[in-house]
Amino acid sequence: MRVAIAEDSVLLREGLARLLGDAGFDVVARCADAGELLRATAALEPDVVVVDIRMPPTHTDEGLRAAVDIRAAHPAVGVLVLSQYVEPGLAMTLFADSADGVGYLLKDRISDVAEFVAAVRRVAGGGAAVDPQIVSALVSRRRADDPLAVLTPREREVLELMATGHSNQGIADRLFITVRAVEKYVSSIFGKLGIPATGGESRRVLAVLLFLRN
Amino acid sequence: MAAAALAAAAMSIALAGTTDRVAQPAVQAALFVWIMLWYVFSGLLAWWRRPDSGFGRLLVLVGFGAGLSNLAWSGNPLLFTVGQAADLLVVVLFLHVFLAFPTGRLTGVSRRLVGAGYLVSVGLQLVVMLLGGFGPDNVLAVLDAPRAATVLHAVELVTLSGLVLAGVAVLAVRRRAAGLPLRRSASLLVDSFALGLVSLAVLMLMGLFAGAGFPVVQRVTLAVLGLAPVAFVLGLLGARLAQTSIGDLVKELRAAPADLTPALARALRDPSVTLLYWLPQYDSWVDRDGAPAELPGPAARRAATIIRRDGEPVAALVHHPALTEEPDLLDAVAAAAEMVLDNGRLRAELQASLAEVRGSRARVLEAGRRERRRLERDLHDGAQQRLVGLSLRLGLLESQLGADQAARQAIAEAKQEVATSLTELRDIARGLYPAVLSGHGLAVALESVAAQAPVPVRLTVDLRDRLPEPIEVAAYYVVCESLTNVGRHAAGAGATVHIERAGDTVVVEVADDGPGGADTARGSGLRGLADRVEALGGTLRVWSPAGGGTRVRAELPCG
Repeated sequence: MRVAIAEDSVLLREGLARLLGDAGFDVVARCADAGELLRATAALEPDVVVVDIRMPPTHTDEGLRAAVDIRAAHPAVGVLVLSQYVEPGLAMTLFADSADGVGYLLKDRISDVAEFVAAVRRVAGGGAAVDPQIVSALVSRRRADDPLAVLTPREREVLELMATGHSNQGIADRLFITVRAVEKYVSSIFGKLGIPATGGESRRVLAVLLFLRN
Repeated sequence: MAAAALAAAAMSIALAGTTDRVAQPAVQAALFVWIMLWYVFSGLLAWWRRPDSGFGRLLVLVGFGAGLSNLAWSGNPLLFTVGQAADLLVVVLFLHVFLAFPTGRLTGVSRRLVGAGYLVSVGLQLVVMLLGGFGPDNVLAVLDAPRAATVLHAVELVTLSGLVLAGVAVLAVRRRAAGLPLRRSASLLVDSFALGLVSLAVLMLMGLFAGAGFPVVQRVTLAVLGLAPVAFVLGLLGARLAQTSIGDLVKELRAAPADLTPALARALRDPSVTLLYWLPQYDSWVDRDGAPAELPGPAARRAATIIRRDGEPVAALVHHPALTEEPDLLDAVAAAAEMVLDNGRLRAELQASLAEVRGSRARVLEAGRRERRRLERDLHDGAQQRLVGLSLRLGLLESQLGADQAARQAIAEAKQEVATSLTELRDIARGLYPAVLSGHGLAVALESVAAQAPVPVRLTVDLRDRLPEPIEVAAYYVVCESLTNVGRHAAGAGATVHIERAGDTVVVEVADDGPGGADTARGSGLRGLADRVEALGGTLRVWSPAGGGTRVRAELPCG
């Protein structure tokens, strides 16, 4: 799998390149700012780009804008946005119309190499990766009549894993249950919450996020 | 001077008695005498009343100029030549005096118009005469080219008419630009100037085409030109009358009104009058609300009269420039105002200090905001970045490790330490400055706030564009602090947050359906918010009737 990296800190850029290289990725571009990333993406069409949200010159939202531009111009390229803070508000901007091939993770996640690499692979393959911190903020959000009250604790766990972008297999592996059991939980959750069942595993990420937002 | 004028008048009558160059010389002479005497005497009056204005001198000059052109009636070829040479010069003298009202000086366009006029009326006229124009008595004739002379004279007349009409336009523009209706005497005067100039232009053009009505138009023109000094003298008399209003002014001022301007405006008959105060400690003029103000400069459409005390300026009357024509009235009003302006001055001074305090509070808050923003960025790019790098290296190390359980354990612990440090650092950085706000705007930042608020929140952000950062930050903190308060005092309640832009104001409203009755004075959080909002020139209000929920509303100017 071919990956492009955009990160202004040399230390992190090289560390990420090494991490992904060790994991079997072909690191095709190492960029220090958004402009470089956009050019590299257009020229090389990697499977996935990993981009820091704050980069020169203003250190505000360059990375996010680059991510949105790449999604529009190169829908086949997965985009994983990394940030020192994760904001539920920003996740909604990023996943506004589709969670296919989009990820938004806290930078710290790169310390868990296996988990991080899995997320990059998922995004490269058209899946989604939503930081657990965002999902837990949305799940624990105060609501007048908490619609999640109807869920069992186990169903809540499945919902959260689903919202972070895990596949049924991924959820099964984490909870040490069978894929079949996961499927049952998922259809039960959708039934209880009244979320229309959607096709792909990344589609349901958006459906769940939208549900949690309101 | 008066004797000279009478002599000139006598000369005019004498010339009329002997001349055969004009029809009905008696009528002509009467008109010239009428003009000469009016201009010279009203000029002398103005000169005497206002020796520092050049206007009176100009009037006198015009009177004598008219007399000079009278010499053209003489049978003596030399005198005739002198008179003829000055014939059109008089036209420009009229233009000059009318455009120079009221100061006696010319500026800008008027200066160029009059300059061009002198050049044409003297220069071209001399050339015409050198070419042998104006008949056999012209002693300046060196060539005999009557056709060329006639053509050139026509050019001269047309050019001068154009300049004179341009002068009328200048007067009209000035009258418009004055904004307020001119004072009656002054407007009468300017109208008579304009009328005189128009008649002059018509007269010159008729002379060119040798129209049948020329003598009639000439008489009308001369009569009209004579009106201008009449209007001028009437204006001076009006100024005398105005001073009777000083008594009323003193009576009004003695009642110590909070605002002196209405009384001053009535006394000066100028509704546009304002009073400025000089505050030496700020080295600045201020208006009655303490806002810094400028005195009108020499080229402005307003004029100022400085009120002094012991030689030092204390205040200034800013008024219509036409009032400079009535210095006695201005002096009297200024003297009356001087006696009572201390109250107003103190008030203005207080307002100015308040504005200064407000300004410094805003600057302190803004400096704090910038500093916190800088610190947040330093943390983000420095310590946080390094710690992420460190945890990345630990992760890589871990993945390369074999089955050494002890080492694995140690690395896992180190990673946990780093993760905790990162979380703590992140909380500190977040508390320092809401970076998401500067990066992504209020709507995104508040969506995060609402998602993590201690109570259910319904959020509507109705903004089309980003706002200036200090405004966004203030609005952000109003929402955060208010929601925290709701969580603290009205647990179980729901809140609505609404932000919209109404004209040049951003309205931030946070309302809850809790029990209300909040002590709005006690919370230091609210006080801090109010400081923040007021420092930006906004207002923060809190309603919290018992049983009626609590509503916090901030209005922030962002024009």
